Amino acid sequence: MPAFDLVAPGTSDEAIAELRASDPGEVAVVAGGTDLLFDLDDGRITPRKVVSLRRLPWRTLDWNGPTLTVGSTLPLRELENDPELRRRIPGLYAAVRAVGSVALRHQATLGGNLGRSAPASDLVPMLLALDAEVDLVGPKGERRLSVDRFVIGSRRTALAAGELIRSVRIPEARPSAYLLQRVRPFHDISHMAVAVAFSPTDARWRVAVAGFPPRPLRFPEAEEALGGSTPGAADIARAAEALATRAPIVADKRASEEYRRQLVRPLLARAIAATRIGDR
Amino acid sequence: MTPSEIQLRVNGRPSRIDSVPTDERLLDTLRWRLGLKGTKEGCRTGMCGACTVLRDGRGTLSCLLLTHEADGASITTIEGIGSDPVGRRVLDAFDAAGALQCGYCTPGFVMALTGLLREGGRSTPVDEMLEDLGGNLCRCTGYATIVRAARSAREEGA
Repeated sequence: MPAFDLVAPGTSDEAIAELRASDPGEVAVVAGGTDLLFDLDDGRITPRKVVSLRRLPWRTLDWNGPTLTVGSTLPLRELENDPELRRRIPGLYAAVRAVGSVALRHQATLGGNLGRSAPASDLVPMLLALDAEVDLVGPKGERRLSVDRFVIGSRRTALAAGELIRSVRIPEARPSAYLLQRVRPFHDISHMAVAVAFSPTDARWRVAVAGFPPRPLRFPEAEEALGGSTPGAADIARAAEALATRAPIVADKRASEEYRRQLVRPLLARAIAATRIGDR
Repeated sequence: MTPSEIQLRVNGRPSRIDSVPTDERLLDTLRWRLGLKGTKEGCRTGMCGACTVLRDGRGTLSCLLLTHEADGASITTIEGIGSDPVGRRVLDAFDAAGALQCGYCTPGFVMALTGLLREGGRSTPVDEMLEDLGGNLCRCTGYATIVRAARSAREEGA
């Protein structure tokens, strides 16, 4: 791969200025680097300049009542090791642990996972089920977008030229679960994944599925079928039927559509069963 | 613009390295500039764990880290791990269990396990610790003795 200029600004204004000073096609951003180095190696990107976020003060994690805010450059392993996360948002804990290996999670970041926007992201479906939002900074100031609006497709996000993901805001800790099917039990990419969360505020379920293109998505028909806090077997079966027959699940090189539609039923049922409401 | 000089502390010794290209990875800096060839290149894509080193005490994939991004860090490789009490315990456990066949994956396993034991030690359930070793692969499939070594290194840390 051809060498590039590497800059590590110390403030977000300087970082934005560095991005603005280059043609968008010629500049890349590095946080943990675990995706970027792949892309550099296979020539998918050939930046003239790489802007490192390592000096920005964004390696943060803050609980404020039920709300969790995670800085975009916090390594995922530090999020995983937060003493509160496992108990208060078990689905997010499980989704973080599904990403790569421990060594990879010491490098990889939540912002990087969102920015990469992979169809088989473990984090995006869970963030969808948690109604999470991203806080962006850019040349025109700050803005907040739902993760649902931010993620568009594979490697496509709503990030504008010169913008950076500063943090991710999870408005409410929720009983939740994340289950996935993959070939190896650890350190592998999902063929199909289901994220569920139950909001104590509106007493409704959120259901998101992932693993297939173009992007992870919520499926409201399944959420409706689950009804209130303790869905019965018939409710779960109706939700699973809706997902298996009507969700926009497709094939790609890693799994067939038929296989994925079969997987989604048990994954949903087990995810609902694994969610402990009132036991946070 | 290429930053002129990188400072690393490698196995306890301060090291200043000049003229490192921006696209160079820590793996290559360790092996080819510093001559520390105990750190192995396996897949170069972060899938096998053979290149694991400790960065500021944490297991890190040196194949997926730009050397410039590690500027200022303290790096421990297999050559220096014996000076760390936890690392020493892991080396002894691998020795006692005969936990290697061809040996290529061994430095990565030793570094990864040392990092895990320093992070969680006995507070991490043994199943979780073994799950957390899942980022390291042994092509000889010599896992039984590696798992035995990992269990015993964890027990001895009581």
